[in-house]
Amino acid sequence: MQTSVISFKARADAALADPTLKLAIDRTTGTAERKRAAALVDFPQFEAARERGKRIKDHVIEHLDHYLLEFERNAIASGAKVHWASSADEASRIVVDLCRQAKAKRVTRVKSMLGEEIGLPHALDAAGFERFETDLAEHIVQLAGDRPSHIVWPSMHRTREQVSVMFKKAHRVPHKDETIEAMVDSARRELRDKFLSADVSISGANFLIADTGATCTVTNEGNAELTTSPPRMHIVTAGIEKLVPSLPHAFALLRLLVRSATGADVTQYTTFHCGPKKTGDLDGPEEFHIVLVDNGRTKMLADTGLRDMLRCLRCGACMNHCVVFKQLGGHAYGGVYPGPMGAVLTPVFGGLKESRELSHACTLNGKCQEVCPVDIPLPTLMRGWRDRSWREGLEPSSMRFGMGIFTFVASRPWIYRLGATVAVRMMRLFGRGGWIRGMPGLGPWTAHRDFPVPSGRTFMARYASGEGRQK
Amino acid sequence: MTARDDILGRVRAALGRRSIDPASVASAAATLLADLPSTRPRLLASSLAEAFIARVTSPKVAATAERIESTAALPEAVARYLRARDLPKAIALQPLALLRSLDWSGFAVRDRVASDEVAAIGMARWGIAETGSLVFHSGADTAVLANFLPLHHIVLLRKADLLAYLEDYATLVAGQPMPRNVNLITGASGTTDIEGSLVLGAHGPRYMHVVLVDA
Repeated sequence: MQTSVISFKARADAALADPTLKLAIDRTTGTAERKRAAALVDFPQFEAARERGKRIKDHVIEHLDHYLLEFERNAIASGAKVHWASSADEASRIVVDLCRQAKAKRVTRVKSMLGEEIGLPHALDAAGFERFETDLAEHIVQLAGDRPSHIVWPSMHRTREQVSVMFKKAHRVPHKDETIEAMVDSARRELRDKFLSADVSISGANFLIADTGATCTVTNEGNAELTTSPPRMHIVTAGIEKLVPSLPHAFALLRLLVRSATGADVTQYTTFHCGPKKTGDLDGPEEFHIVLVDNGRTKMLADTGLRDMLRCLRCGACMNHCVVFKQLGGHAYGGVYPGPMGAVLTPVFGGLKESRELSHACTLNGKCQEVCPVDIPLPTLMRGWRDRSWREGLEPSSMRFGMGIFTFVASRPWIYRLGATVAVRMMRLFGRGGWIRGMPGLGPWTAHRDFPVPSGRTFMARYASGEGRQK
Repeated sequence: MTARDDILGRVRAALGRRSIDPASVASAAATLLADLPSTRPRLLASSLAEAFIARVTSPKVAATAERIESTAALPEAVARYLRARDLPKAIALQPLALLRSLDWSGFAVRDRVASDEVAAIGMARWGIAETGSLVFHSGADTAVLANFLPLHHIVLLRKADLLAYLEDYATLVAGQPMPRNVNLITGASGTTDIEGSLVLGAHGPRYMHVVLVDA
């Protein structure tokens, strides 16, 4: 996985200065929030379902070796070939080798976050295959030559006006009307023959069903089935945490996943793949490969501060409801996974040194955990990274120096009280009409907005005078 | 050491366990499915047929539906559907014996779906009232692509094949060999990838019409 080299702060500044980006983010996250809320009104059983979902995922994680072996056994019995990859590079190499083995020229891909995580688009390009992303958003990302900015809506950072320009440049028969309908139609015309003429298709999996060896993909566009049916080889790449014991367990999680992601009750297409084309089948691939990917997941399993994250269904609700994500969008996070879940996952893949700032891009308001369909304690996990970063000495010296002063003052109440009293008086001196426009030390704040003048005496002064005490 | 051994080794080390009792894991997994009604939405009506039709025609699924008394009435229903939309009487017909046995005179009928097919007629194995989903199994008389290439997807479903909940499908097929593909299809294809606004007919069908037959 690629982690951007420029700092989070520089990326965040650039994102905040982009008014088009803010417009694009608001249009999509606003809709997502409203639709999820409406879906929950129609499903008062959500809380109970969430508890069940959490228990199912925890059960699988606690018996992961058992379910991996059961899945492998049943997948092989169905005619699938199962591969294992410890790292992102190993997983990409397996996929590229399979494509070479199939003598593939044209490769079609169904959007998969794991594919992004292991750097598959880049690996396929580097190996010289003609790669087509078939999901509409990934198609937009590919045309723009940039990266996904959301795990459900990868091109949410683009406005319809920007998409229109790209499609007109790239499509053979582009749209004439400036409507989203006409643009979707243009992509439909452009990609149809790509589906049918590909040699290999690559998809991800939302669930791996242990007792049948089947993989499950949920989509709304229908591109997944159009992509995976015609080519002679279909490759599935999936993280090892995607296992579920059986079909009913998958259905229990599906109800949570879809409502949390898009606010629908179920995706338009929920497809189970089980082995290659069977004798007599009218279509389907001759070869079906499944690549089981670790890439840091066993590390998370061994770490009690991260194990809960293995429950993640990749619904995106945490980012849709995150006040920081809604200001910055996904690219500022630098990794493949943005938002709160990304702030927890990115250090696992790319190292804490490069991504320690992400866990600070959080107000700890708890909204992400509240909307998480499997109750992942995201704020706690982010605090865990902050703590680790401190203990490993990764925080910059200015931060360590500042915290040192704060610790010194806070552990000596008389200095703290004196400081607070002086600060309140100073701030009153700079205040005009209840607001401070500028004051030494407040520069970064007052550059963008005024600071309120403290309204009265300090808490300790009021407390000492008996004000507000119980009679 | 292979990657497989490495991964399994790391999983076992992380879990701090050497052996596992499959029977106790299976019973724990079964316990996780206790009292399913407490975590499922209510159906929209007490009769399965009404609940299914209400769901499939709701704004969330946005398909159209009609009921006929016998399968013999399907060609006439299809003709009405095409006429109402000014479409030619040309269809791709799923090569199922039941569908082929009907009287399609007056239609241009193909048994293969073209890449730009306007209308295709198929039959679902089951319908699920909870979600308004249709269940298809790939096989010798069901091409997966036939459900995805046409612009108008017209699907016959027998009332007797209606199930209440997703899990009822799982119970029904438990222990049977799985087809290569199981497709649960709920309405027409859609996308919200441009600014979150819903557009139907992304890559798959733009229109879904369900014909529910009583007998």
